Amino acid sequence: MAKETSSDKTTNQILIEQLMQNVGKISAIIEKQGQSIFGNKNLLSNNEINDYSLEFLELLTMLLHAGEKVDRRGAEYKALRQFFANFSQQIQVRGGDMDEFVRYVHFLQGTFLDNLETDKAVSFEKSREILMLLGTIFNDIILDVFHIYLEGKEKTIAAQQEELKQTSTPITEIWDGVLTLPIIGSLDSSRTMIVMEKLLSRIESDRARVVVIDVTGVMAIDSQVSHHLIQMIRATGLMGATAIVTGIRPEIARALTSLNIDLSAVTTRSKLSEGLKEAFRQLNIEVSRPGK
Amino acid sequence: MAEGIHLTPIGDGNVLLEPGEGLDPGNPEALVAPVLEFLQRHEARRLVYDLKSVRLIDEVYYAWLTKLNATCRIANVEMVTVNMQPAAAYALSLAIKQSPPFTCVLDIHNLR
Repeated sequence: MAKETSSDKTTNQILIEQLMQNVGKISAIIEKQGQSIFGNKNLLSNNEINDYSLEFLELLTMLLHAGEKVDRRGAEYKALRQFFANFSQQIQVRGGDMDEFVRYVHFLQGTFLDNLETDKAVSFEKSREILMLLGTIFNDIILDVFHIYLEGKEKTIAAQQEELKQTSTPITEIWDGVLTLPIIGSLDSSRTMIVMEKLLSRIESDRARVVVIDVTGVMAIDSQVSHHLIQMIRATGLMGATAIVTGIRPEIARALTSLNIDLSAVTTRSKLSEGLKEAFRQLNIEVSRPGK
Repeated sequence: MAEGIHLTPIGDGNVLLEPGEGLDPGNPEALVAPVLEFLQRHEARRLVYDLKSVRLIDEVYYAWLTKLNATCRIANVEMVTVNMQPAAAYALSLAIKQSPPFTCVLDIHNLR
């Protein structure tokens, strides 16, 4: 029986053979580099790095065994991608970033190519095919991980935005039937909608009769912001509650005048404390020091 | 009484109006006369319009409310709305340019 030469073997077979013959050496190199990349920052322990390296080699061998051409829909390919997805997520959770991961994937690819160089029996043609195959696999992995990374970042940003929205409009029942709403920052259409929704629901659930809207934290006002403010006051009135606006700073008052915004029908007070006094007055509540 | 309108005298010159199914706010002319007739018969001073069941107040519904309010004023009856729902208040605040000509009160217990 004639001995099979390198040129008779498929790309996958050559790679599998390389892996089998040099598994110890390759795995040692991968582990060492893994420790250098992930171990220095304590992203992974040595045991974890070793486990990941072995699992990777096993999954890659399974993929190469599955068929001559890499089947992107095949279970083996999916398993390898899933492995890297989990791996990268773990790195991210522990504070690592994409740079480290991409460096590691490039290094894995480089290790196979270095190993290939030592085998003089592999023709140039086969080397090119192997390079193409490895390039396809590893580029796909990097793209996958990049998408996962972006999705994770987008989710984090969305969660932070939601949290900010929730915490930036703390509506407090400061007294029976009196709500305070401090507005900090700017009022755009989307924020106005959220604030109004929350405020109107609170008026209904708390049976509030007065709402003190404090705008001390509003740094600038334009026609859109003032329009939203008036809309909020009007909606409060429609619910049957009275709105008192406090903390209008001189520059805001000047801007409102320049914009021809008429707040004459709105009860305003200089400070939040004055607004509360007005709310108490409207509700016939008297607050006094004991003994006076 | 007109279809979709339920009127109840609740004492102290107050009459409660509860809109129900079948109320057509697109035809206010046909509705205001029987309401006014009821108010005058009961010597009402105030009409309390309960909006609890009204999920949305659009321009047509708002026109009906303002028409009813104008008629009440002619007859020296004050119109007050109660229990406006948050979603209705929000939508109406977007639609109107000025405060409504009638009084809005949180609920019937807050009538003065």
